[in-house]
Amino acid sequence: MVENIVFGIGITALAGALAAVAGAAEDTESDIGSQGDPNSQVQLAPQMGFIHRIFNKAIAGEPPAYGLWCTLGAGLAWVFLIQDINPILALVLGATIATFVQGVYATSGYLGRTASLAKFGQPVYIDIIKSMLSVTMAHAFVAVFTTISICYLMNAALGHPFPLPLLGLVWGIALGAAGSATGNPFYGKERQYQNQQFGAGVPISASGNIVRYAEAGQRNSLDNGWFSSKLGGPASGICFGLIVFLELWRTILFEEFAGGWGAIIAGLVLILIFIMIGRWVEVYARKNYGPYTAPEEASS
Amino acid sequence: MSALGGAPAGGAAMDPISMVIGLVLAVVFIGITFVLAPLAVIPLIGIIVGGVLIGFGVHFVPVGGAPAAMGQAPGIATGVAMLAAGAGLAGLFGGAWAAEFGVVVATITGAIGGGLLMAITCLMVNVIYVFGMGIPAASGKVEKDPITGDTQAEYKSQGTEGHGLPFISFVGGVLGGLFGGGGGTLIYIELLTVYEQYLPSIFNATVEQIMPVAISLAGMFAIGMFLVNAVLAAYNITGTIEGPHDPKFKRFPRAIVASLVASALCGLVAILIVVVNLNLTI
Repeated sequence: MVENIVFGIGITALAGALAAVAGAAEDTESDIGSQGDPNSQVQLAPQMGFIHRIFNKAIAGEPPAYGLWCTLGAGLAWVFLIQDINPILALVLGATIATFVQGVYATSGYLGRTASLAKFGQPVYIDIIKSMLSVTMAHAFVAVFTTISICYLMNAALGHPFPLPLLGLVWGIALGAAGSATGNPFYGKERQYQNQQFGAGVPISASGNIVRYAEAGQRNSLDNGWFSSKLGGPASGICFGLIVFLELWRTILFEEFAGGWGAIIAGLVLILIFIMIGRWVEVYARKNYGPYTAPEEASS
Repeated sequence: MSALGGAPAGGAAMDPISMVIGLVLAVVFIGITFVLAPLAVIPLIGIIVGGVLIGFGVHFVPVGGAPAAMGQAPGIATGVAMLAAGAGLAGLFGGAWAAEFGVVVATITGAIGGGLLMAITCLMVNVIYVFGMGIPAASGKVEKDPITGDTQAEYKSQGTEGHGLPFISFVGGVLGGLFGGGGGTLIYIELLTVYEQYLPSIFNATVEQIMPVAISLAGMFAIGMFLVNAVLAAYNITGTIEGPHDPKFKRFPRAIVASLVASALCGLVAILIVVVNLNLTI
């Protein structure tokens, strides 16, 4: 009994650590490839007269995109496992093939979306594809491999009833949701609109006027990946890591108590703690940053 | 006037003829199930309730889409259906694990799983806004937060409709996750019940032997139905929503009817897959 719990906690910790890496890699990949909501500005910029050298591959929202790639990776790994291939090798092969599919999507996404901006004078830069594609694919591989590894641990070690491809779909979508929710504002506001005032949202009138120049020469998506990997990526990693770790932790430790109600109560307590921390963060910002305008002016 | 008493945004009106047609269709789908598979009627009702919970729950989730990614609007910077799916499927994961404890415990476990994902995500969104970008949370739809009473307008930066997640949006996100996770799990559990009843006869096997197929089928259909209901609600919301205090929230009755009809049809198809096969083998 105790050995089972210790084993479960060990697997939970490993899955949480893998999830943290997955979240960080997912967000950095989506920023280098420019996917998700902030890419609306990359698409908009040439239409407003701002030609740029940012990658542009909003194939889909991050959750369905990662749902596809993780399902593909997990499904292929599952097939290799049935063929009695070593699990680690099976997971690596599954993630590799899924990454190549991501690369195909990224290439066609960039070419298609950028070509559609030809009437606004936006060129298709072949050197951008050459230099950015491999980097976005490398990050996608890390994100997919770690996610399907988590799924494998859940299925093989912890005994979750879902088959590996279904777990890939569930956690791929959850990975994309966590990564896009946490990382998008940092890439969208803080990096693309670095020329705007710090500590305030981007005025709607500034839409499309993204930063296009770096310290030397023109900015590209590798610069954006470097920037967002400092905070947006790690924060996404913490977000997804906490989700995976705490979901498993409450189940492994407390599910057997009171006929399943133990895990429910533990989850409820965790939710209340996060709500309280969230309220503290909100109050902290209001106290320390203060209002933009006096209340009476705002109501006028 | 309370913040919740604001005038509803356009599109909240219910079209009576469409509603009646929808309800009649739902009754027809239930009737077909009753004729072809009487044992599956109760599970179908459960599936419909699960779908309605999902459709209703999506309206609570504060979704800011692309404007939120630029700090131009409050909410979480991703799509409605995607975020709801992420939360709901994480809940389904936990609920499926707890299926052995019965439908009530499993459904609540699923709800808590969805709520937990949303609580962590909402917290990290505000952490990024506050500590990464120096931007406080502010609503663009209400003057005061309905829960905390905090004034909002003066914390809204110039030229934006607000940013981050005010407390009411945070709580709305958690509630949305609870409804979504619970609804998705309920659909899964009900479908699993149907498949456990019918699949052994089709394959001429024991319940234990067909469980992998039953779990996979129920899981896939539950995810599919989750996406159907989440997308329907997203169409009802049209773009972004701040949470339960947003005037768009008042559109939810329309989404409930739509989810009811769609879940009845999807549930019927999911049930017919095993029932029709059974009839062919007899």
